[in-house]
Amino acid sequence: MEYVKLSGFRLDGRRPTEMRHIHAEVGAVANADGSASFEMGNTKVIAAVYGPKEVENKGQQIGNKALVRCEYSMANFSTGDRARRPKGDRRSTELSLVIRQTMEACILTHLMPRSQIDIYVQVLQADGGTRSACINAATLALADAGIPMCDLVTSCAAGYLNSTPLLDLNYLEDSAGGPDVTVGLLSKLDKVTLLQMDAKLPLDIFENVMQLAIEGCKAIANLIRQVLLENTKKLEYLRGT
Amino acid sequence: MVGLSAGEKNFIRGGIEQDLRADGRQRQDFRPILIETGVIPQANGSARVRFGATDVIASVKAELGKPNPLQPGRGKVAIYVDCSPTAAPAFERGGGEELSTELSAALQKCLLGGKSGAGAGIDLSSLMVLEGKVCWDLYIDGLVVSSDGNLLDALAAAIKAALTNTGIPKVDVGVGASPDEQPEVNISDEEFLQFDTSAVPVIITLTKVGREYIVDATSDEESQMSSAVSVSVNSHGKVCGLIKRGGAGLDASVILDMVSAARHVSQKLIPLLDSEIDAAEAASLAGQGSDVDP
Amino acid sequence: MASPASYALRRHQQQRRRPLQDDNWVRSDGRGFHQCRPAFLRTGAARAASGSAYAEFGSTKVIVSVFGPRESKKAMKYSGIGRLNCNVNFATFSTATRGQESDHKDFSSMLHKALEGAVLLESFPKTTVDVFALVLESGGSDLPAVISCASLALADAGIMMYDLVASASVSCIGNSLIIDPAAEEEDCQDGSLTVAFMPSRREITQLTLTGEWSTGRIHEATELCLDACSKLGEIMRTCLKQAVSSST
Repeated sequence: MEYVKLSGFRLDGRRPTEMRHIHAEVGAVANADGSASFEMGNTKVIAAVYGPKEVENKGQQIGNKALVRCEYSMANFSTGDRARRPKGDRRSTELSLVIRQTMEACILTHLMPRSQIDIYVQVLQADGGTRSACINAATLALADAGIPMCDLVTSCAAGYLNSTPLLDLNYLEDSAGGPDVTVGLLSKLDKVTLLQMDAKLPLDIFENVMQLAIEGCKAIANLIRQVLLENTKKLEYLRGT
Repeated sequence: MVGLSAGEKNFIRGGIEQDLRADGRQRQDFRPILIETGVIPQANGSARVRFGATDVIASVKAELGKPNPLQPGRGKVAIYVDCSPTAAPAFERGGGEELSTELSAALQKCLLGGKSGAGAGIDLSSLMVLEGKVCWDLYIDGLVVSSDGNLLDALAAAIKAALTNTGIPKVDVGVGASPDEQPEVNISDEEFLQFDTSAVPVIITLTKVGREYIVDATSDEESQMSSAVSVSVNSHGKVCGLIKRGGAGLDASVILDMVSAARHVSQKLIPLLDSEIDAAEAASLAGQGSDVDP
Repeated sequence: MASPASYALRRHQQQRRRPLQDDNWVRSDGRGFHQCRPAFLRTGAARAASGSAYAEFGSTKVIVSVFGPRESKKAMKYSGIGRLNCNVNFATFSTATRGQESDHKDFSSMLHKALEGAVLLESFPKTTVDVFALVLESGGSDLPAVISCASLALADAGIMMYDLVASASVSCIGNSLIIDPAAEEEDCQDGSLTVAFMPSRREITQLTLTGEWSTGRIHEATELCLDACSKLGEIMRTCLKQAVSSST
């Protein structure tokens, strides 16, 4: 199948290095300590953060830093064909782990010993790039909850189809079976915290694709900063200072 | 949820007694209702409903299936509810399972009518494509995103809005197939049939706190309840379902009194919901229009 | 040896209500519309349990065992009041076709709701009472049978309750209200009303209703259920008394 047309456009009309429309919002869940929704094209996720709070299961308590937990769940209606999926299947367990590890790397856990932070991400719609969208939503929610972080971690995926590096694959491109590189980046520190790839790529092309994904992460980081800044301004205005 | 102090409990109870609740509402007032339709483009119909801080999403997916041999003239509807852990940490790792089953069962009872199909809010015979052979299976999924009490009422409102938003593709049945064979069907991409949702009931939960009962309780108020009765009422003022939820026993006359109170509230709520749904539908159509126009 | 208890509404009542019906249909088992099936109740059906009961309403047969109060599971949080854990299962052979028994996932929570208003949970703090119900044969009105039988088993186990919980259901078919519907009647019902009732306190602990009803009709059906529940309550009481007198 032709994923990049001769005119240089992709199936959904994007250029190879173009991201989907992104919409991010802080405060999607009223009762949570911090929450956010994040949309990339048709992919839509919600993240909620509870904590830092007392550790529920004393056996899991860590003496010198905070315990970070994460659960990823998909709504029944999130995919094209409706399937009732059991809770805690392999894919969601793996994704929970990936998100937890990525977020743990940027949270200053040593500042909150003997406490627990819960991150819950809920996929409302899946159209490729849920992994990245979840991490971005979780970052926003953590920032909203006021949890100390060394930097904002953002994530973006890139792939390689029809000999062209493509930024931010949608479901159709994702299921083509080509290589798919997901990067999580601490943009200010310029450090990579997450790197995953399916399938294989020659080393020099891999570098190009990864660079593209990093560029994507940086763009998302700028956007997230803007969203947070606007939210802060709004809060400031509401306080009347 | 964080427990309430004795003072807070007294404040909630006292406010309800004096018809002035913690958020300034009266006993029979709903919180502001926000409805958005078409939030899940991949579904045939969807809606997001907010009652204050309670936030739920309902989606309707239609699939072609075979009707139940015992009821060849009718389609099938299944309602499932999921409680997302984003709503409360207690729902993680299947912790919301019990509540989910309870809500699903309550919605099924209130919306699908009796076993013979009488009094159903959703007309199952309209889902028929070819008698005994092909019918539409409707899968209604509810998701609780944020919970601050009164989930059942919010879910019922979301399902009503999602059904209004639903377009079921028109189906052409291929002729000439022998009676034993599964007929060929063509699903149209352009023509959609709209649902008539005027018969879909609303659910009103009356929560009894002390001597009084209130509508649209927040989770703080629900923690103080002695019992609750959920009544589903359609636009003709008929009761389509009733469930008593937990707590202490009630006298029969109190329950009948609550039913009439629920009918009274429904006379205000149904027109309000209908106009909100219409407004949301108009907004979602306008939104689509602006997408096409660059 | 105690003779099996049974109950039925009195004849003249039936005849008085009969003219309400405009069509001449007869119930498959020949009962009047407002006549319950004969009930057979017996306590002490399972030896290992703290308390148990067996109930038979026509072809509906259920057995309920109650265990406890016993220590709550370690994973449970501290609770100042006791826990009531209810579980309803259907035997695989309980229905005409195998595999139909799984449609009743909500029975457990319904049973819990019907009983929790009657049991004095504060009388056994930090502990759990387990109620396990098994439907041996599903012959209609299963949930009311389970609820009544469970409260009898709780009484047999010596769990403190405000009152026994008796339960009955009414089906609405066409213009007629029929009490204690059998399975085939439940299959063609337009609506149903199930009530769990504490006869001495005259309090309803659980009420569910499906189908379209007018207020007057709800009133009529509730009255019918409450009447049947009061009578069933009497029979349950007699059964308990007999159990005590036969053991001494």
